[in-house]
Amino acid sequence: MGKTLFEKIWDAHVVVGKESGPSLIYIDRHLVHEVTSPQAFDGLRMNNRKVRRPDLTIATMDHNVPTTDRGLPILDQTSSIQIQTLEKNCQDFGIKLFDINSPNQGIVHVIGPQLGITLPGSTIVCGDSHTSTHGAFGALAFGIGTSEVEHVLASQTLWLEKPKPFEIRVEGKRKNPHAVTAKDIVLSIIKNIGTGGGTGTVIEYRGEGIEDLSMEQRMTVCNMSIEAGARAGLIAPDEKTYEYLRGRQYTPKNYESLVEYWQDNLKSDDDAKFEKQFTLHIDDIAPQVSWGTNPGMTCDVTETVPTPDEFSKGDSNQKKGAEKALDYMDLKPGTPIEEIKIDRVFIGSCTNARLEDLIEASKIIKRQKVSPEVRAMVVPGSQMVKKQAEEMGLDKIFINANFEWREAGCSMCLGMNPDILSPGERCASTSNRNFEGRQGTGGRTHLVSPVMAAAAAINGHFVDVRTMDLS
Amino acid sequence: MKGNIIKYERDNIDTDVIIPGQYLKVHDYAELATHAMEGLDPDFHSKVKEGDFILSGKNFGCGSSREHAPIALSHSGVKAVLALSFARIFYRNSVDGAFLLPIEIEEDAYNGISEGDEIDIDIGTNEIKNLTKNQTYKMKPFSEIIGKIIEAGGLFNYKP
Repeated sequence: MGKTLFEKIWDAHVVVGKESGPSLIYIDRHLVHEVTSPQAFDGLRMNNRKVRRPDLTIATMDHNVPTTDRGLPILDQTSSIQIQTLEKNCQDFGIKLFDINSPNQGIVHVIGPQLGITLPGSTIVCGDSHTSTHGAFGALAFGIGTSEVEHVLASQTLWLEKPKPFEIRVEGKRKNPHAVTAKDIVLSIIKNIGTGGGTGTVIEYRGEGIEDLSMEQRMTVCNMSIEAGARAGLIAPDEKTYEYLRGRQYTPKNYESLVEYWQDNLKSDDDAKFEKQFTLHIDDIAPQVSWGTNPGMTCDVTETVPTPDEFSKGDSNQKKGAEKALDYMDLKPGTPIEEIKIDRVFIGSCTNARLEDLIEASKIIKRQKVSPEVRAMVVPGSQMVKKQAEEMGLDKIFINANFEWREAGCSMCLGMNPDILSPGERCASTSNRNFEGRQGTGGRTHLVSPVMAAAAAINGHFVDVRTMDLS
Repeated sequence: MKGNIIKYERDNIDTDVIIPGQYLKVHDYAELATHAMEGLDPDFHSKVKEGDFILSGKNFGCGSSREHAPIALSHSGVKAVLALSFARIFYRNSVDGAFLLPIEIEEDAYNGISEGDEIDIDIGTNEIKNLTKNQTYKMKPFSEIIGKIIEAGGLFNYKP
C-alpha cells in the first residue's frame, strides 16, 4: 500500500521506533522565541547539557516585543527581562539570534520561510502552536511545549506517537480571489469540521483550490490547522514552493539537487490511505467573519448571528458554549453581521501579516480614511515584510488613511505587549484566535481576512468585500 | 488518588482562559498560579484546594503551546484534569513536566460526576470511583509512551 506525504516524512525521520508504538523522531529545524524557551535553557544548565545542534537552532524575539519605536528602551520590565534572557541564552549556547534590532527580526513563522530556513520534507518544531504554518512548504511542522523544547535542544529528537493522516480536499475555483481569500477557505474548513475536527491527525490539504494558492496564502491555511485541533497541516510542494525558496539567505547551496529529490519523493501515493477525509467546495463561498469565542464559531458575512440552537444542532455543550460566547461578545442572534460596528482593527499576526496580505488590504483603501470611530493598526509580520512594503509605498497608503504603521511582532494577536484591546472593545482582526480575553481582558475579537479587516476599518462595520472594487 | 471535583460544563476550554497571555512573562510559579483560570472563572484561585480535580468537556486545553497552562493549574493544587478529550499540546505538556494527570473520560463520567464530588482515580485499573455517589466509570487507558512518562515522573526521567 502507498504512503501519504506525512507518512513519508515521518518514516524518513524515525531514529528508533515500532510501527504501532512511539517513535523517537529527528528534528531538522528548531525555532526558538523568548516566551517558551527560558525554562528550557535553565533545565540545560541545571543538568550541564549543551545544545546538541546549535547550527539547526534559530532564535528570534516576537511575542512580547514592542511594535513602536525600537530606538526607545522597553518600558515593560518583565518583557525586557525575557528579551535579555533570550539574548544571554543564545550567547551562552551558541545559537543564531535575530534580535530586536536585526533586519531579519519578525514573527518566527514569517521569518522561517522568508529566510529559506523552512524546507520541504523537513521536520520543524517551535514552542509555539502556529508552527503548523511551515507545513505550506511540505514540511512536518508542529508546536511543542517547553519540556519538549528542552528535549529538542538537548537531543535534537522528540518522542512522539504517530498521528493519523487526514485528507482535506479544497475543490473548485473562487469567483473573486481578491475578495474570498485563503483565510476564508480555512475558516470555512474549521466552521465545518469544528475546533476538535483534526484532533490526533496531520492534515494534508489537496485539490485545485489549494494548488491555485500562492505560497503566502498556503501558509495562512496551514497556520490555522491547529485551530481545528490538528497536530500539523501540510501541502505537497510544487514548482511554486521551489521557486519561493530559491536564492533566499539560508537556502542550501545544493538546492537544485534537493529540488530533484523533493520532486520525486514529496507527494502522497495514489493508493495512499487517509484515515479521515473532508471536501470543501469553494466556488460559492463568501468572506467569513467569526461571531463567537472559538474559530469554529464563524459564518458568512452575508448571514446573521446564529441562535445557540442553530449553531449547536442538538449538542448541549455546544449550545452552552454558544450562549456564553454571545454573552461575552455582546451579540444578539439574528443581528446581520454587516451591522456589527467595530472599535479596532488589527492587521497582523503569523496568519495574515505577509507582503501579499498587506498589498491586498491596501487595495481597499483608495484614498479613503479609517472611520473616525475606529482605531486601526498594521503590524507587519517581519522587518523584511515591513521594508518590502515600504519600498512599494504601502506604508504611505496606510498612514494617509490613518492606520498606525508598526514594527514587526506578534502584537495584538495575543496581547502580551502593550498592543491590547480595552474591556468591551470590538476588533476586526486578521489573527487566528478569538478566545475570550485573547487580545486583552474583556476584548472582543472577530476573525477576518486582511481585505475584510481593511474594509471594516474604512466603514466602521463589516462589509461584504465582494461588492467592492478590488482592482 | 483522591480529590474533589471542580466542574466546567463546556467544551473548548482554551489555554488563553487557563492562563491569559499577559502572564506568560511571569516566571514565579506561585504567582502564575494566582492567575489560573482567570479568563474563565475569576473565583477559581479562591475556591481551588490542594488535590482538587477539574472536570470538563471536549478539547480541553486547545490553543497555545504554553506550558504555563498546566503549570498554573498544577501550582494551584490541581492534580488531574478529567475531560472528554484534550488538545494534544496541553495533554503532552501536562505529563512531560509531571504537572498533572490528563484523564480522558467517557460521557457516563462526564454526566455522572457533579461539582464537589469526591473521586478516586486509579490509573492501575483505569477506574474512576465516585465516592460521593458510589458510582464507577472507566477512564481511557494511557498510551504506552504517556504511561511510561507518567511512571517515570516526567519526560527527562523517561528511559526507553
